[in-house]
Amino acid sequence: MKKSHISVMNRSFQVLDQRRRKLLKDHETLKLKERVQGIRAYSMDHLEELLEEAARNLEENGVEVIMAGNGEEARGAILDQLEGEVLVAKSKSNTAGEILLSEHLEEEGVEVLETDLGDRIVQMHRESRPSHPIGPAAHLDLEMISRIVSDYLDKEVDCEPRSILEAVKEDILMELPNIRVGITGANSVAASDGALLMVHNEGNISMISLLDVHIILVGIDKVVSTLEDAVSVVKLETIYATGKKTPAYMNVVSSPSKTADIEQELLKDMYGARRVVVVFLDNGRRELLQEGAESLWCIGCGSCIVNCPVYSVTGPEFGYRRHLGGRGVVMSRYIEDEATCTDSGLFKCTLCGNCTRECPLEIPTSQIMELLRRECVEEGLHIQEHRVILDNIKKRGSAYRD
Amino acid sequence: MIYFQGCTARKKLKNISKSTQKLLDQADVEYTVLDDEECCGSVLLRTGFTRDAQESMAKTYDKLKGERVVVSCAGCYRTFREDYPQMVGEVDVVHISQLLEELISEVKLQLKKEEVKVTYHDPCHLGRHLREYDAPRRVLEMKGDLVEMDKNREESRCCGSGGGVKSAYPELSESMAEHRADDAIRTGADVLVTCCPFCVLNLDSVGKIRVLDLTEFLLRRDES
Repeated sequence: MKKSHISVMNRSFQVLDQRRRKLLKDHETLKLKERVQGIRAYSMDHLEELLEEAARNLEENGVEVIMAGNGEEARGAILDQLEGEVLVAKSKSNTAGEILLSEHLEEEGVEVLETDLGDRIVQMHRESRPSHPIGPAAHLDLEMISRIVSDYLDKEVDCEPRSILEAVKEDILMELPNIRVGITGANSVAASDGALLMVHNEGNISMISLLDVHIILVGIDKVVSTLEDAVSVVKLETIYATGKKTPAYMNVVSSPSKTADIEQELLKDMYGARRVVVVFLDNGRRELLQEGAESLWCIGCGSCIVNCPVYSVTGPEFGYRRHLGGRGVVMSRYIEDEATCTDSGLFKCTLCGNCTRECPLEIPTSQIMELLRRECVEEGLHIQEHRVILDNIKKRGSAYRD
Repeated sequence: MIYFQGCTARKKLKNISKSTQKLLDQADVEYTVLDDEECCGSVLLRTGFTRDAQESMAKTYDKLKGERVVVSCAGCYRTFREDYPQMVGEVDVVHISQLLEELISEVKLQLKKEEVKVTYHDPCHLGRHLREYDAPRRVLEMKGDLVEMDKNREESRCCGSGGGVKSAYPELSESMAEHRADDAIRTGADVLVTCCPFCVLNLDSVGKIRVLDLTEFLLRRDES
């Protein structure tokens, strides 16, 4: 990442950090944090049964459910649901980023319209990558953004936030009437209710979930017992991600659009989606869980990278695709393999443990990193400089050469 | 008691070892320094060479078992405290900041307060990992006026050297040290003090602010 982008990112993170400070120490937040820790631990201990329950109840509610073992299966399944459309609308999704969904759809001749403002800006700027899971354009300042948007839309957009918003909104709204398929993620899935909970501030998910076909891509780890639990999870996520108590919108989707207003006869396809399709993605998550790694407790708030010393000097190079920072490095071991894990920055972590302190779920990422390093070194994937230190210690009893 | 210097104080920043011994002498502590001191194994553990670490630790354990040990390095301290009991055996270890606090409270060591503004960097291994935040601060305050950085104690920002990063990615370590040095400069302090030689090495390498180990700081006047 460019130095200029990194310093803008750090400035954004500082503002966010200040905004959150008081709220994170609030009594209600601490209580919620404890509750969510229990919810997530239970979910991971009972993942298979919750997943089965979720699929059963979703189907009963009229939602189509697809289980995808890996990225390729998920992408194939999504492509199959597009009903020949060549333009789709999409909201922000780290899981979609994980499987490079947009890139693959484009290779297949399907254009993807990002509807989240930050994501849309990053999409317009081919050379940059999202730098925060909730605020993907955190590394771009006003001037950079106005230039990116002006270049992309091929018109002069004032270097002023409102003008940029209006220009991007106008462009997206112009495209939207031509789009029949919306793709979103979900922040949490309620098994016993057969419902999916989505959080957003801009209103974009409300719009695209009403399109003819609504496809939801979600990791199997997002499942919890009840809708009440799901609400707790996303509330905590919002607090940690943005410093606000509640997001502007929480959408619950548990069925295609329906009505029973005429003599209690169930009629489908009123204003909202005619079809709702959920694609549950494994992609290494089960394997990760078997290893006992707590990385799947994650609720996606991005708090771990805000004060990560490594991330603050590298940006998203430390991490794997849209799984940013140290936890992303851990995920990459299971999504891909050990070599990908070292490439994602396994040995860049200083093991300082600040991410664990920042994490509402207290995921012990640095400890997991140490275990993964051991595994990688046994596979011969050590760092050459570390090998030199080992030799120094063996020969001279000291890490140093002289 | 054994004074275990650790690789950095023994090989690179020898003045930390010298200062530590000077203070121990002043306080009439009976101690020995091993002629054949070797690496505690910390760096091998953190970089994934677990089996080699185990060998290294077993050797050092033989030299230390049954003795009270004082260390300069926060990395050695954590390894002796947390990893040795699990992998080779218990070590009765104390960090130099804790021993100094003890010696001051027993009036074995006397310090004169000076007009100097000092800020303190919590080494990750000592602070966040083992929750020793107070001993070094209490010692520091006997000598100078402590001003805290915005991110301190458990929120402390890592200096960037740990986990094998300084050797593998020196440019990353340096950039991280710059961030931490900037934190220190913002306090208006004259000196940045820490009590881990590896943190001293990295923070000092960026040359933004005077960086001293706690022991060096206590002997500051003597040095000048």
